[in-house]
Amino acid sequence: MKQTYQQRLHDLWGDVRRDWQLYLLLAPMAIWFALFLYKPMYGLVIAFQDFSIFRGIEKSPWVGFANFVELFQNDMFVRAFWNTITISGLGLIFAFPVPIILALMFNEVQNEVGRRWAQTIVYLPHFISVVIVAGIVINFLSPSIGIVNLFLKGIGLEPIYFLTQPEWFRPVFIGSSVWKESGFESIVYLAAIAGVSPTLYESARVDGASRWQMMWRITLPCILPTIVIMLIIRIGNLVEVGFEYIILLYRPSTYESADVVSTFIYRTGLQGTQYDLATAAGLFNAVIAFVLVYSANRISRRVSSTSLW
Amino acid sequence: MRTLRKGAPLLALMTAMTMALPVSAQDAGKISEDPLELTIHFHFRDKYVYSEKWPVEQKAAEITNIHVRNVASLATTSSRDAFNLLIASGDLPDIVGGDANGGLKEDFIRYGLEGAFIPLDDLIEENAPNLKAFFDSHKDIRNAISGPDGKLYFIPYVPDGKYSRGWFIRQDWLDKLGLKQPETPEEVYEVLKAFRDKDPNGNGKKDEVPYFAREEIDAVRLINLWDARVSGSERYGDFAVYDGQLRHPWAEENYKTGISNVAKWYKEGLIDKEIFTRGARSREYLLGNNLGGMTHDWFASTSTYNDALSPKIEGFALKPMLPPKTASGQRFEDSRRLRVQPVGWAISATNEHPVETIKYFDFWFSQQGRLLSNFGVEGKTYEMVDGKPQFKKEVLENKDPVNAQLWAVGAQVPRGYWMDYEYERQWTNKIALEGIDLYDKCNCLKDEFMGVSLNADEKATFDRYWPSLLTYMTEMQQTWVLGAQDVDTGWDAYKKRLTALGYDEVIKIMQSAYDRQYKAAQ
Repeated sequence: MKQTYQQRLHDLWGDVRRDWQLYLLLAPMAIWFALFLYKPMYGLVIAFQDFSIFRGIEKSPWVGFANFVELFQNDMFVRAFWNTITISGLGLIFAFPVPIILALMFNEVQNEVGRRWAQTIVYLPHFISVVIVAGIVINFLSPSIGIVNLFLKGIGLEPIYFLTQPEWFRPVFIGSSVWKESGFESIVYLAAIAGVSPTLYESARVDGASRWQMMWRITLPCILPTIVIMLIIRIGNLVEVGFEYIILLYRPSTYESADVVSTFIYRTGLQGTQYDLATAAGLFNAVIAFVLVYSANRISRRVSSTSLW
Repeated sequence: MRTLRKGAPLLALMTAMTMALPVSAQDAGKISEDPLELTIHFHFRDKYVYSEKWPVEQKAAEITNIHVRNVASLATTSSRDAFNLLIASGDLPDIVGGDANGGLKEDFIRYGLEGAFIPLDDLIEENAPNLKAFFDSHKDIRNAISGPDGKLYFIPYVPDGKYSRGWFIRQDWLDKLGLKQPETPEEVYEVLKAFRDKDPNGNGKKDEVPYFAREEIDAVRLINLWDARVSGSERYGDFAVYDGQLRHPWAEENYKTGISNVAKWYKEGLIDKEIFTRGARSREYLLGNNLGGMTHDWFASTSTYNDALSPKIEGFALKPMLPPKTASGQRFEDSRRLRVQPVGWAISATNEHPVETIKYFDFWFSQQGRLLSNFGVEGKTYEMVDGKPQFKKEVLENKDPVNAQLWAVGAQVPRGYWMDYEYERQWTNKIALEGIDLYDKCNCLKDEFMGVSLNADEKATFDRYWPSLLTYMTEMQQTWVLGAQDVDTGWDAYKKRLTALGYDEVIKIMQSAYDRQYKAAQ
């Protein structure tokens, strides 16, 4: 065992000497990772402490898993955790396919000018700040002056006060996220489609394949690896719902379906300066995310022989 | 503590000297023979830092010979971050002060107990006649800001004036509809219904919003009409004191009646449909567009709409009115100005001149210091007229608000000082003053819950239960008002859930902390 270890080290050193230019190129990224991602991990130990910023990590007393026990005894945290999973899960089902469909549709548009226009229009919302998007959503859904409710009133329905009803929170949240991000996310798939060899289409055309058949039999299978990688990344983010947009949209009356782990951390941890509890919640999230990514990757490697690593 | 003991003989000598001198204790004069520099970290309102260049501070330095030098960085745009970073660095200057999101009271006490700041009680007793006199005559304020060990760790900013918010109604609408100011819940109901149905703005559309509010604390304020309270202090959802017993207003029986009536009114369109989502600009929007009829808001700022809107809307008159009598026939105003702000300044444990520092703090509570901290420098921002400070004309008529002008010279900044309401009165709108006068005669304020300092065990219990309880109660409040659930059928389950979430445990520790803090001292 030791032999191989030394042998490996020796080999690595040989590699470095031979390809030092390549390693030099790698260095900034490696240093960045070490400095900004690995070093701060040391701070995670405060999840196991009764932490005070004045005492610091060295002098704060250790409390073992007490912070985690406190978390799981808190039904608001448990509810926030399930809300996170539900919102991300629904997002996965409804929002994940949209950029793929968009990319396939763009690919079929023949008119160059029309296509450019359409693309620009769907990319645009990505560049709008979430604060503004939330403002637009609130205005659109306002029960008195919102265009959606004016329309509902116009066709003789009762106006709905969307943003205060828990059952409407998820559709509104996911729907507006799709509007904001799916256009931009489709770029990845468009790039993948551009990489498909034209000879495949040419031979299919010679064989008399329709465009529909070409899409199903050539385009989709060829971009499948990209789709799988994106899916794995997405699954890794399943327990992660960005809190800025939620905080801008939720109200106490919609906490029931809108309160997620990150907003829970924000409210109880940061506003209440319980950094230790907030860190424990964050660490728990990270562990779940790791398990999810790892299993998604394994399953994918087995089923489709594509994987992240 | 070491420095303190060393300074003790000197201190006794100094006290003896002051007593011997014919100078009154009110005007401290020079604190140190040689100029003494003290460092200070003081970041406030997210964008200002303490400055030795302020005319007010220069004047103070001239009088006291204490020169404070700020070490807080202007580069930070969050006073909270600036304070936390300072504490985390562990390297504290002589004085730490300012304000921050959520206040610094709990921070001063918490880090004081951990050894960052020194307790001030003995220092005040021996060196600070003005502070001592102030705290002796304001026992409740002293109690409110002491730590769980009964000691003071900071000198607070003490506001003056009693009133913050009050009821406002469109008097011109009342006149137009031939109604008078409502005096009972039933009359309020009739007035709001008339606002809704009788087109008081005269545009032919049924677009009036009878009751509206800008902040969440005022959104359900109408529950007052059924004797229920929104909060025991200016903080939304705070505990309240009921005959010496601490409870939460949202767990009371009268809250059930109040909130179910508010829900009914909401359903009937008497309360703004978008009350929970319209946000901070609702007052401007609803008044500016001649839509809003009645609200509960700050006296000073709400009154100014009369001047701003009367050229635009004919006859516009938004008048303050007394709180209507409640269902049980009482009359009370739920909100009041905080008696002490959770901000101010503290002395670090590493400060080598605690005696001089407390004397410097004391200076700001002296006659001279109060004039300086409230009105600025004499001759520049104010003049003495008949022995009373009076702002100069150019200050009152400047296009910048008076307080902004004062901040620029270093007055009215959240150091440990005692505000003088006279400063605000001189530039408050006439209609607001009328309203305040009205409320003053009514004498219908409730006791304020001034907060408690929890010890470690109590804090652990509080942190375990309270965030969830508050979340749940706020959630149910809105659920009920919006009509998603019926109050009468949901109330028992609500009370049960509160018990399950630990309401009784929280009340128990809050009560014991309250008794320790306010009752023992009496």
